[in-house]
Amino acid sequence: MLLEAKNVSKAFGSFRAVAGADLTVDNGDIIGLIGPNGAGKSTFFNCIAGDMPVTTGQIMFDGQDVTRASPEVHAVAGIGRTFQVPATFEDMTVLDNVMVGAFLRHPHRNDAREHARTILELTGLGRLAQQRARSLGTPGRKRIEIARVLATSPRLMLLDEALAGLTPTELLDAIALVRKIHESGVTIVIVEHIMEVIMTLTRRVLVFNQGHVIASGKPDDVVKNEAVIEAYLGRGHHARRR
Amino acid sequence: MKNIPTNWGVVVLGACLLVYPMIFSGAFYLDIGVTFLLAAISASAWNIVGGYAGQVSVGHSIFYGFGAYCPLLFYQLFGWPPMAGIPIGIALSIAVAILIGLPTFRLSGHYFSMATIAVAELIRIFTGTWDLVGAAIGLQGPAVARGWWDLTFRGELPYYYIFLVVLALLLFITWLMEQRRFGYYLRAIKTNERAARSLGVPVLQTKIKALALSAVFTSIAGSLYSIKTGFIDPESGFGILVSVQMVIIAALGGAGTLFGPLVGALILIPLQTATNTWFGGGGSGLTFILYGGIIVLIARFEPGGLFDLWDRIAPKRWRRGHAA
Amino acid sequence: MLLLQVVVGGLLLGAIYALFSSGLTLIWGMMNVINFAHGEFVMLGMYVALLVVVWLGGGPAAFGTAAAIALFVLGVVVYAGLIRHVMRGPMLAQILSTFGLALLLRYTAFWIFSANFVSLPDTSLSGTINLGGILLPVAQLVAGVVAIAFTIALHLLLTRTNIGSRLLAVSEDRSAAMLMGIRPDRMQALAWGLAGCAAGIAGALMATAYPWSPSVGETFGLIAFVVVAFGGFGSVPGALYAGLIIGLIQAVSAFWFGPIYKDIIVYSLFVALLWLRPQGLMGKA
Repeated sequence: MLLEAKNVSKAFGSFRAVAGADLTVDNGDIIGLIGPNGAGKSTFFNCIAGDMPVTTGQIMFDGQDVTRASPEVHAVAGIGRTFQVPATFEDMTVLDNVMVGAFLRHPHRNDAREHARTILELTGLGRLAQQRARSLGTPGRKRIEIARVLATSPRLMLLDEALAGLTPTELLDAIALVRKIHESGVTIVIVEHIMEVIMTLTRRVLVFNQGHVIASGKPDDVVKNEAVIEAYLGRGHHARRR
Repeated sequence: MKNIPTNWGVVVLGACLLVYPMIFSGAFYLDIGVTFLLAAISASAWNIVGGYAGQVSVGHSIFYGFGAYCPLLFYQLFGWPPMAGIPIGIALSIAVAILIGLPTFRLSGHYFSMATIAVAELIRIFTGTWDLVGAAIGLQGPAVARGWWDLTFRGELPYYYIFLVVLALLLFITWLMEQRRFGYYLRAIKTNERAARSLGVPVLQTKIKALALSAVFTSIAGSLYSIKTGFIDPESGFGILVSVQMVIIAALGGAGTLFGPLVGALILIPLQTATNTWFGGGGSGLTFILYGGIIVLIARFEPGGLFDLWDRIAPKRWRRGHAA
Repeated sequence: MLLLQVVVGGLLLGAIYALFSSGLTLIWGMMNVINFAHGEFVMLGMYVALLVVVWLGGGPAAFGTAAAIALFVLGVVVYAGLIRHVMRGPMLAQILSTFGLALLLRYTAFWIFSANFVSLPDTSLSGTINLGGILLPVAQLVAGVVAIAFTIALHLLLTRTNIGSRLLAVSEDRSAAMLMGIRPDRMQALAWGLAGCAAGIAGALMATAYPWSPSVGETFGLIAFVVVAFGGFGSVPGALYAGLIIGLIQAVSAFWFGPIYKDIIVYSLFVALLWLRPQGLMGKA
């Protein structure tokens, strides 16, 4: 068991954004977190990433208690995350962005640069190495973020709507990239709205609604679940038969 | 990518600085040159924490003052050569840097800035009441040199070259810092602290190191000043003008760039000398008004300073290869 | 008895601190921007009062209103011309903008008015009053009481009126407020105007009771920051309590240790606050 979140709750004053959510992630899993807007999945995600302190609950990563650990400690332990709104270092080049990530495990500049270049090739950003991050559009920035966090050699990667806003072709590329990363041995948890991503990539799905996990299981089963359909009523997503 | 700036501009600049005193050998020009070098050193020191790390200190005179007072204090108390006080000023500065940084760097940036103002004023007022360090009157250095080690020269020429060496050393160290992990981490923190954290950047530690490094060189600048001038008092050591000047010079040229502070000093020091000469006694009041106005304009229109402005308006060929 | 007099005097001054600090806390709570020139706003309020008295011969109502309006306008102008543009930019720009403004205002005032301490010519509020054995200058008493009144008024404005709830809505959640049809830009400008207004009134009040020079702005700015940090960012009631407490501490320290410690104690309090209780008494940190 790589990551275990038990009974995690997060309250903002009297508003409970997340209420007693559990998540177990095994090595090599690729898990999706879905749910309508405001369902608490992003909050839960941020709790796991160490970006937000939990109100109650416990989070264990690889035997280490990371419940109250800072994001820095998370990264060192091997948990990496991307941000919903791309948080690239705008004024730095793509290569430099990735190098910041690479420096975590490669303190010396030349090693870090080597590693960063490898990651850039892997993620298809090789040609853009010297471009300023701000000159790329949102899809490019999301890719930089993925490359950057990949450079920290994470064991668990948390992707926060990393595939949103892409054209169909870009989406296929991105899905392929995530799959490639997964196949290289990285465990993945992905928050997503795009059902295609969930259905094709993930092996297990958790559905959030109003702070609770209302369903959990294989993608095919979950989308047929009555409670899930009800939660999404009016959102235009419907179960697809494969 | 970021190799030694083979820019012929830097070589030319270095050569110009080297031969400047030979061409402009009058006392007036030499004095401007020395003032320029000192301003460039302080501003470059500030630049490390204010420009690169993005933690805006507006009370950096704290470190300048410690560096300025210690040499003269230990000369007055024990007859030491002023030079011997330099490491003590540095040690004090590092200690205070950590004391300020530890609580405030965990909070939002404004806390740190406010803290630097408060501590600077606190020390300034306090120094003005403490007889041991000269109170409001201040301290003096050796009137006549007892030996070369007193660094009490009659002309300004030796100071010019000493300061030039220190500036070159500081810029070299800053350049080294830019290349290494520390430099990358600083820029990451400045740009997006939350993202930096998520990548394992030890934010608090890194900020404090930057502040300490900056404090060390600011302290050295202060020491150079008091050794050269042979005099220090609360205002010239810990006063607000000292802090403001460092900030405006670095910001004008381009905070976070290697040569920004140098460019800023090149413009501002002659300008300041001119306004002081034209407006005579009212000079320093008007200087502040001018500085205030310039700072507001920089903040509003070109926070990246002249280097950024150059990047925007210069033809592509002449632009710098990278930004800070 | 003398101590009691000092205590009351300190509380009265603290009330004025509370008034101008509540303007600062409003801005901070709403926009996470700090106005380094806030002390200068108060200082300008004092000089506006002086000018109205000297040029127009106006009384407290006249110069109070003039200061309120003048500083309201200044607040809005500063927001529209400067703050709005630097708010979302790099920290350097945010901090330098109001810091530079502070220098500009302070030294322009030095240039125009010189560094001499001035006070208002005798007004209807002169003389001292004997309250159960304590001697208080009437002006100080009136200034303090009026300051509390205005601070409470601001709090009521924020919590009980329509416009107040719109201001608070922007403070809580900008995007949600926009969805409700509130224009954050307008509300922010209004907040700056109100902050300026509070500073202006505080300045006018202070001018009636205490001498001043352009140098007071720097200390007031820091006092405002300490009060806001102590009372909690965004909390006007917090600013009230903290202001009173700071005024009290300042007066008692000056009484026991000497007048030069008036400023030292504020700076030291701030440093102590940073180390011991950065989250303040109440409100969000």
